[in-house]
Amino acid sequence: MFVLDDLLFRPFVGIIDALHSLALEELYDVDALEDERKENQLLYELGERSEEEYLERKEVIEEELEIAREVHEQFGSGRVEVKR
Amino acid sequence: MSNSNRYVYGIVDSGDIEFETDAVAGADRVYTVSHRRLGAVVSNIDTTDPEETDEDAKRHDDVLREIMDYDGGRTIVPMQFGMAFESDRTLKNVLRGARPAFRRAMNDIEGRIELGLKLVTQEDASVDPEEIEAAVEDELGPLAAQTVTNDQFSDRLVLNKSYLVDEDDRAAFDDGVARIEDTYGDDLLVQYTGPFAPYSFVDVEIGAQSR
Repeated sequence: MFVLDDLLFRPFVGIIDALHSLALEELYDVDALEDERKENQLLYELGERSEEEYLERKEVIEEELEIAREVHEQFGSGRVEVKR
Repeated sequence: MSNSNRYVYGIVDSGDIEFETDAVAGADRVYTVSHRRLGAVVSNIDTTDPEETDEDAKRHDDVLREIMDYDGGRTIVPMQFGMAFESDRTLKNVLRGARPAFRRAMNDIEGRIELGLKLVTQEDASVDPEEIEAAVEDELGPLAAQTVTNDQFSDRLVLNKSYLVDEDDRAAFDDGVARIEDTYGDDLLVQYTGPFAPYSFVDVEIGAQSR
């Protein structure tokens, strides 16, 4: 039964792992957040975004960036446990 | 903590520089540490790994601009934010080791400034990026000694370039940008910045082991 279970489920576990990694990458995409930070700054400098909107957005992006960097650091050091 | 570390803004050719200013990490004086005819423009700092805050990044830029205007105008090979060294001795070793590279960079940027141009689509505007890029190239390309395309960090950025321009061509370049703004102002927001020390056109690598 073990061999059968292994053959039936291993490919799915592999796919779930890959999907999980992709989801984490997308959710905690440091480059995308950096781009968003630069865009926020640019639109503020060009007068399209008010100071209030700019500061509000900046705070949110910086918090997300901090979390994303932490997740990547833990990912890199193998400290993130995938629970199923 | 000791303030014996040196934070470097850039490298100048001969002649000491010294002035009081609002410098990186709370320092209030900028001066040169020289080796033969090269001088590193520095301020004192208590770390070799400064944190890049918005305020200090701006101070770094502002100091570079002050140096460009110092004593009738000086050419400076700019360093990116964050270059700090343990002591005058390590810094002089770097100046000695990288002297040929600094000399080449100095020759490339002598009498030139960096100008930046970003073109951003107005909200909901529809433009042909290729047409705009070609028009900008026709207008500004001949006036620039070198051009660098920068990061496309937003879908709304149609163009993001830095230009190395002879100081003598500055007025003509300004006119060219004004014509671009006149032509495309209904569809595009224009951000024209500078002059900066030519960061984008200097490629001097200093190894971490030299710190």
